[in-house]
Amino acid sequence: MSALLKKDWFGLGLVLIFGSILISLFKPAFISPFNLYVLMLSVSLMLVVAMSQMIIIAIGQMNLSVGAIGGLVAISFTGLMEVYSMSILPAVLIGLLIGLACGFINGYITVKTGISAFIITLATLYIFKGMNLGITEAQPFYEIPEAVKFFGNAKIFGPIPYLVIIPIIITVLMWILMNRTSLGRYMLAYGNNVQSSELIGISSTKIVIYAHVISGLLAAIGGMLVVCRLQLGTPNIGDSWLLPSFAAPVIGGAILAGGKVDVIATAFGVILVSIISQALVIFKIDPFFVQIFLGFMILLAVFINRYREYREERRTKVFSDE
Amino acid sequence: MNNKIPNFVKTNQFGLLILVIVFICIFSFSTDGFTSRFNIYALSRVVALDIMIGLAMMVVILTGGLNLSLGALGVSAAMFGGWCMESMGIPISITIILVLAFGSFLGWINGFVTVRTGVHSFIVTLATMSIYFGFMTLLTEAEAFRKLPEAFTDFGSLKLFNKYISPLLIISVLTCFVLYYIFKYTDIGRKLIAAGANPDAAELSGISVDRMFIYCHMLSGFLAALAGIMLTARIGAAIPSMAGHLGFDWLLPAFLAPVLGGTLLSGGKVTVFGTMLGAILVTLINNGLYLIDVGEFWVRFFLGIILLGAVLLDRAREYFTVKNSIVS
Repeated sequence: MSALLKKDWFGLGLVLIFGSILISLFKPAFISPFNLYVLMLSVSLMLVVAMSQMIIIAIGQMNLSVGAIGGLVAISFTGLMEVYSMSILPAVLIGLLIGLACGFINGYITVKTGISAFIITLATLYIFKGMNLGITEAQPFYEIPEAVKFFGNAKIFGPIPYLVIIPIIITVLMWILMNRTSLGRYMLAYGNNVQSSELIGISSTKIVIYAHVISGLLAAIGGMLVVCRLQLGTPNIGDSWLLPSFAAPVIGGAILAGGKVDVIATAFGVILVSIISQALVIFKIDPFFVQIFLGFMILLAVFINRYREYREERRTKVFSDE
Repeated sequence: MNNKIPNFVKTNQFGLLILVIVFICIFSFSTDGFTSRFNIYALSRVVALDIMIGLAMMVVILTGGLNLSLGALGVSAAMFGGWCMESMGIPISITIILVLAFGSFLGWINGFVTVRTGVHSFIVTLATMSIYFGFMTLLTEAEAFRKLPEAFTDFGSLKLFNKYISPLLIISVLTCFVLYYIFKYTDIGRKLIAAGANPDAAELSGISVDRMFIYCHMLSGFLAALAGIMLTARIGAAIPSMAGHLGFDWLLPAFLAPVLGGTLLSGGKVTVFGTMLGAILVTLINNGLYLIDVGEFWVRFFLGIILLGAVLLDRAREYFTVKNSIVS
């Protein structure tokens, strides 16, 4: 039990359960099937985006270009199907390939030059977004195959949309990667301390490139899922991803200096953000408040994390000091 | 280090100066109207703002941090100014003082939270960016202030020096000199640099690093608010979307100018005139790309490429200078 209490996701889980009960007591509409459906859709999309950022946070870097990669892949995916009348599967594969290539570029330049990933991904953010706008001239693609539209709209049963399948698989895979594979462990080791991870024989080049490639792939998947959801490919897909992509991992206790992320807590962070955004809509609160709220949530999470660290430090001090 | 000339040649500023001259030559030969009075005047108005934004970012980079909320902060301050002048009828001079104080206060919040939580300023300013911008949109209901006093808007469209230069550029250049003086010759300026360069050593030598970092964020807020006022004067109205969604349009020039100018992202180094030259270069390239007609949509792409090229070049230069210094 006490091991459970120490988990990052435990407190968040409690907040989620009590919060949901409280909201549904005041507004029963909150647990209506339609509302749950909308909630699950927003959770599934943001889950992929948050994982894409989380893996970069794990190695102690940040990726500003997540949204730009998602947008570029989204318009390439739809463009290939509309303009070149390609069938769905090759279009998806090319979309994934673009995401992989974008991630590889980010990782390769970052690790080879030693320049902060912030600046590199700021530059590639403009490059990818510029390519997106240059190709589309800011015009959306509307001609989407019926199968894609169906995948974005249909429900498995009850209020559960098909769209949740891929994000759930990704979350499970990410959990396995971070908790059960040596690659995931190496990433955390690298994020914790670059020098010592190199000294024990972990290749920085490999770790950084892998992390960025995975991030790029996830951003690509996120972009294509949004296309399914919106039923069209607009160039501004991904523009608003930056804040939520950081919000969920940080609320889930990720330390931005690297070396500590929690997949389940990040997923709970996504759900929490989605529930709050949804609740604000149900209570008819100005949508701009959602943004302010998200900002405050990040600050609050930061303060709580800091406090926990401080308590932890004090506790270890009692034992280690003379 | 006996002779001073090769040293200056090795600096970033020298490389930038050469680049600026090269680009001026290229654009004035290859395009019509680059050297026209109209274009130079337009350039001077744009570059004035880019310099100010670059400086506002530079003073936070000094601490080894970042200020993502720059654009949101600048626009919030500008909207506050618009409200003061239009709705409250407060005289221009007092409004400007209030706006600058307001900007510094928002900067103080950034600094205070960063220092107290010990979290990287990236995440703090990411949060405050959305808070500032959200409150601003909420309070203004996304409405612009368009009935500003004429004396204020006239200043923004004033033309000096045979109608070539905007007075806004003079404000920016003056700010550069003031900042240069502060960082080079004053006690507080040296303390700010010391705190950024090596916080532990600075703390041990009796400098309150936390306070210095908060000062840096306040200075950043002050300069961003100044940039906000200048943009309001230039447009002739205070518009919530004038720096894009969440103030993101300011972010690229904000990073480009100091990074091109040779400010180290790890902190502890400022190059006021490097930032100025960096801002000039960015504006030149931006303007040139439009004149060459690469297409409005590709401009962003090229700016990204240029930022990438600039940081790579800078890394190469560092590599070679280190090599040289070991040999000699």
